[in-house]
Amino acid sequence: MDKFSQNEYWVNHRGVKLYLYRKRLNDDANRPSFFLVHGSSFSGPGGFDLHVSGRDDYSFMEKFASYGFDVWTLDHEGYGRSDRTDGNSNVMNAIPELEESMKIMEAETGHTAAAFYGSSSGALRAAVYAEAHPERVSKLILDAFVYTGRDAPTLIERAKKLDQWNSNNTRPVNRDFIHSIFTRDKPGTSEEAVADALADYELALGNTVPTGTYADMCQRLPLCDPKKIKCPVQIIRGEHDGIATEEDLLAFYNQLEVRDKQFVIIPGQAHVSHLGLNRERFWHVVRSFLDMPGREDNSGL
Amino acid sequence: MDFKTALDIESQEHWAKRGEIDLFIFRKFSPSAQLANPGRPALLLVHGSSFSARTAYDLEAPEFGEYSLMNVFASLGYDVWTMDHEGYGKSSKTDGFSFIKDGVADLEAAFPVIEKISGHRSACFFGSSSGALRAGAFANSNPERVEKLVLAALVWTGEGSPSLKKRAEKIDEWKASNLRRVDEAAYEAIFSRDVTGLTIPELPKLAAAAEMANGGGSVPNGTYIDMCINLPAVDPLEIRCPVLIFRGDHDGIATDEDVIGFYSALPNKDKQMIMMSGQAHNTTIGINRHRFWHVLDSFLTMPPRVDS
Repeated sequence: MDKFSQNEYWVNHRGVKLYLYRKRLNDDANRPSFFLVHGSSFSGPGGFDLHVSGRDDYSFMEKFASYGFDVWTLDHEGYGRSDRTDGNSNVMNAIPELEESMKIMEAETGHTAAAFYGSSSGALRAAVYAEAHPERVSKLILDAFVYTGRDAPTLIERAKKLDQWNSNNTRPVNRDFIHSIFTRDKPGTSEEAVADALADYELALGNTVPTGTYADMCQRLPLCDPKKIKCPVQIIRGEHDGIATEEDLLAFYNQLEVRDKQFVIIPGQAHVSHLGLNRERFWHVVRSFLDMPGREDNSGL
Repeated sequence: MDFKTALDIESQEHWAKRGEIDLFIFRKFSPSAQLANPGRPALLLVHGSSFSARTAYDLEAPEFGEYSLMNVFASLGYDVWTMDHEGYGKSSKTDGFSFIKDGVADLEAAFPVIEKISGHRSACFFGSSSGALRAGAFANSNPERVEKLVLAALVWTGEGSPSLKKRAEKIDEWKASNLRRVDEAAYEAIFSRDVTGLTIPELPKLAAAAEMANGGGSVPNGTYIDMCINLPAVDPLEIRCPVLIFRGDHDGIATDEDVIGFYSALPNKDKQMIMMSGQAHNTTIGINRHRFWHVLDSFLTMPPRVDS
């Protein structure tokens, strides 16, 4: 019997078919749901269930399935196996997409809420969803996050092509671009085989991705209001991540009104923590947050 | 909470000397837990201004659950140490103030004893309140001794701190004498100064009685004076090891901004800042102490970096 069981679902959002994917240990146990939200440049299963030749521990989904979670991810509009449309799949578009996905999750598991993890613009998607649907988000992990974007090296560079992002709903991607995701901040923080495996997966499904999140990150930040997030929050930052400054993230952290909040910097990591050399440290931090025991007082404080 | 304390915890008492001052050192470990969890480091717990080491970190209250932080971490495989600073617990009562800098000297005197007995040349340090200042200042001056640093109930500059603003009203009193007499009622009051409801009602009396039995009745004024007029006592720029800052959401010893300022200034990028609800100043003996254990153990067991 396979160690993991996996399921595919199709979300129909206003006529757009979205690919929803689930992985968990292959038994009948009802396990807590954990939803992973992808960013601007690669799909959900591509980034979170990646299999690299000669390596057996790059799948974020399998790792957390083995920890006892029921792990879900979605290809947002224009990514992976989901419909490629003339929309630009901006950050706010993710709110109804995630809500439709959660209805399927609820029907399948009985869970009305899940812990959410998002990376890069996936963190923005997850955060705006948490604001719009606080009843659906039990915990929120924001990795490679950006708040206002002020002085962010990556966004300064990205904004040079803002006219391109605004005038086209998609941008082309190729193998070199996918490699650049892993080298733009700090070469040597990931294995080259990871970028190759990711490129193999993504380019087999298409050679474009939507421009909406790039346009949002260059000109519409902040998209998230820390005061409107009601669940425990963990902010994770790779030491070398250029998507935001530390000051920008600390300003967000400080404004979070929820009092269960964590700010973790992981050295030796860049923008894509879950696919970095030090991914085991990333898993450790995420798991610790998700496994936090509950409060035992009834003080109401 | 369902914590299973190891059945084979061993206790040891040791002594160090700083000049003429006798300093009490206490150790707990579990051979079976160490066997089951090889490689767990030494963990040195540094007490704060009011309670001596064993009241703060080895409180016995079996009818109410496990309250000994030493028992918990010994059961997890750590080699757990603590000490009474000058003027506290079983250590010498002197005419000194036991300032933060004296606490650093105490730790410098104790560590060779720890090294000789255990072989550990360095340890992970945990300090709470002015214990965090002692541990932080020790990490500033003895970086080779500190593998990881955990700072709970930390205050950096003290700016805007509700607890310190109130404490400073008595600064002349603190400065006029090297110590203050403390009775059980004063010890009990520590648990209600921020909020009530986050420790069990029986705990203040238990802790007060334990402290009187551990050598209490007076506490030196040095750390109160330091926290009122000599902050900052720790330079974040001079801390080289990984750092965890743990803050209870109702802790009045510092403001969020002050703690975030310290965190931001830490140059080592291996750093975590965790704020937790349902916690006040005394994180180690609150009702939700198991959540603090979880965070502390997670930080101490972080897998090593695999890159060069």
